[in-house]
Amino acid sequence: MAELNIRNAIKRYGPVEVIHGIDLDIADGEFCVFVGPSGCGKSTLLRMIAGLEQTSEGQISIAGRDVTHAEPAKRGVAMVFQTYALYPHMTVRQNMSFGLKIGGTEKTEIARKVDEAARILKLGDYMDRKPKALSGGQRQRVAIGRAIVRQPEVFLFDEPLSNLDAELRVEMRVEIARLHNQLGATMIYVTHDQVEAMTMADKIVVLRDGRIEQVGSPVGLYEDPDNLFVAGFIGSPRMNFFAGKVTDMHDAGVTVTLPRLGDVAVPVATDAPLEIGHAVTVGVRPEHFDPSGEITAQLAIDVVENLGGVSYAYSTSQDNAPPVIIEWRGKNRPRQGGTVAVNFDAGCALLFDTASGLRLR
Amino acid sequence: MTKHNIRTSIGNIFVLLLVFVMLVPVIYMILMSFRTGEEIAADPLGMPSGLFLGNYINTLESMNYFRSVANSVGITLSVTVIVAFVGSLAAYPLARSTNAWGRAFIMLVALGLATPAFVTITPIYVIFRQVGLLDNYVGIILAFTALNLPLAVFFYVGFIGAIPRDLEEAAKLDNCTDFQVFWHVIRPLLGPATATLSLFVMLMVWNDFTYPLLLLTDPDKFTVMISVYRFVGNHNIEPDLLFPAAVLGSLPLLIIFVIFQRRIVSGVTAGAVK
Ligand SMILES: Nc1ncnc2c1ncn2[C@@H]1O[C@H](COP(=O)(O)OP(=O)(O)O)[C@@H](O)[C@H]1O
Ligand SMILES: [Mg+2]
Repeated sequence: MAELNIRNAIKRYGPVEVIHGIDLDIADGEFCVFVGPSGCGKSTLLRMIAGLEQTSEGQISIAGRDVTHAEPAKRGVAMVFQTYALYPHMTVRQNMSFGLKIGGTEKTEIARKVDEAARILKLGDYMDRKPKALSGGQRQRVAIGRAIVRQPEVFLFDEPLSNLDAELRVEMRVEIARLHNQLGATMIYVTHDQVEAMTMADKIVVLRDGRIEQVGSPVGLYEDPDNLFVAGFIGSPRMNFFAGKVTDMHDAGVTVTLPRLGDVAVPVATDAPLEIGHAVTVGVRPEHFDPSGEITAQLAIDVVENLGGVSYAYSTSQDNAPPVIIEWRGKNRPRQGGTVAVNFDAGCALLFDTASGLRLR
Repeated sequence: MTKHNIRTSIGNIFVLLLVFVMLVPVIYMILMSFRTGEEIAADPLGMPSGLFLGNYINTLESMNYFRSVANSVGITLSVTVIVAFVGSLAAYPLARSTNAWGRAFIMLVALGLATPAFVTITPIYVIFRQVGLLDNYVGIILAFTALNLPLAVFFYVGFIGAIPRDLEEAAKLDNCTDFQVFWHVIRPLLGPATATLSLFVMLMVWNDFTYPLLLLTDPDKFTVMISVYRFVGNHNIEPDLLFPAAVLGSLPLLIIFVIFQRRIVSGVTAGAVK
């Protein structure tokens, strides 16, 4: 069990820099999720922590020990790969014992640890099978078992569930969360799926193009995003963005006029020094549309998805912008092809600077 | 009959024809081995009149059979094991290298593949004379190993390239040194490749007679193919000794293949990496 500190970590492939100076602290026992679109450098950063990629500059330390240039096996980390990476010619038991055997652990001790891991992961019935004879979920369990057996200080997962079908993914998600509670170990989990990030993480690190966009708790990122990227990435369905201009200023904030909503004026609280005419973006989440809200606008609805307990109404505009998504619950849900009045509270609206994408608080 | 059936029948006929054409010399060799020298001289294409085993007894007495088979088996197995081990060990870093030097080296190996065996025999002879490896088991094994290594390296580079790197990285995290990664993870996955390669190497080494002919002089060190070739004289052939000798010369290899056939076939079809 250990904390992890990353200071100004940079990764270059030849002249190309793909990780641009990451600073990050992960506390002992924390479940930290790296999330971001494909190609943003999540795997690279994880592999730098594992020691599978050289760190070009900066420092990585685990439990206060500088491991920046240590061998992978000497870092006290274990990794679960997206492809499972089980040794095809070994049985489940051999796969799980291999690391300890190479490390020279005593036979009875190996057996004890492997049996313990098998018990935790309910692998007892498969111990003498080869990976080929296992289902995807079982292989994933073996891969996790192989990591547990090593009793690492930090567990690393690189998109471990992306090769599983949807149902199994939910099951394994719960299982990994349970494992985290049971072992209390520090875990770093990479995914491009923000649902996985939201459901599993103590701390989410949102990455984009090799930079950290924001670090925080799932709820913190959801309710209080630092910029348009994080606001749009976290939450499903995604947040609605309305381009607008500052048309009035008052003590507590500004009034913003939104053309997409029929030039409705929305008073937004902010301390930011703004001028009349400043281009801003207002973000409203689908579930923040609420009949009791004081702001009203008319929207033409072209598609309605009814999921039973909740419906999502989509309103597409002419200008190629993403559709406005409105969540409806209860009775009187909108119909396809109609026009509805939508309401929301100005207090729910988030204000962003359009040019820089930064949040205006 | 459906179109599909007709097509497979025609295919089968062609395969049978091909097998027949390939087997004719072998069948001829076996049939002739049971006929006396006079019979063969009188009618070279005739059938044996009975199972005349006298040829075999004469041959066994005059060709030093068991000694030469032991030599051949020893040399062939040593060469196969060394070639498989050294070849895969050399191929591993080559298969994983991404820089220009690695690729250039692989091209160099391919050049070795394209060099005919008789071109290298003269320099090998001269060098071996200098260092005293002529008429020496170690020498002949070294020569055959050198001859077959390019094939092995080339072969293994392709196979190792198909093994996912994740496995190596997992092994690195499992405390393995580079050699341990090779030994515990890469090598066991090369089973099918090794089976196929061994087949080629064994055939080549067993059947070659130019190298032993030039590098060995002591009759007690002769391989079985040299012993067989002794019955092909400069001016005449002794058919009643040559044919049985040829049968006896190929027999051990055949037995080895029958024993290992299961493994070779299952190895080729196993698809170890998945
Ligand atoms: N070996 C490599 N050589 C050059 N560029 C690489 C290499 N590996 C990854 N990259 C680049 O680094 C970036 C981050 O990759 P990666 O960490 O795999 O992204 P993610 O896991 O977030 O999808 C990508 O733009 C990718 O093209
Ligand atoms: Mg990745």
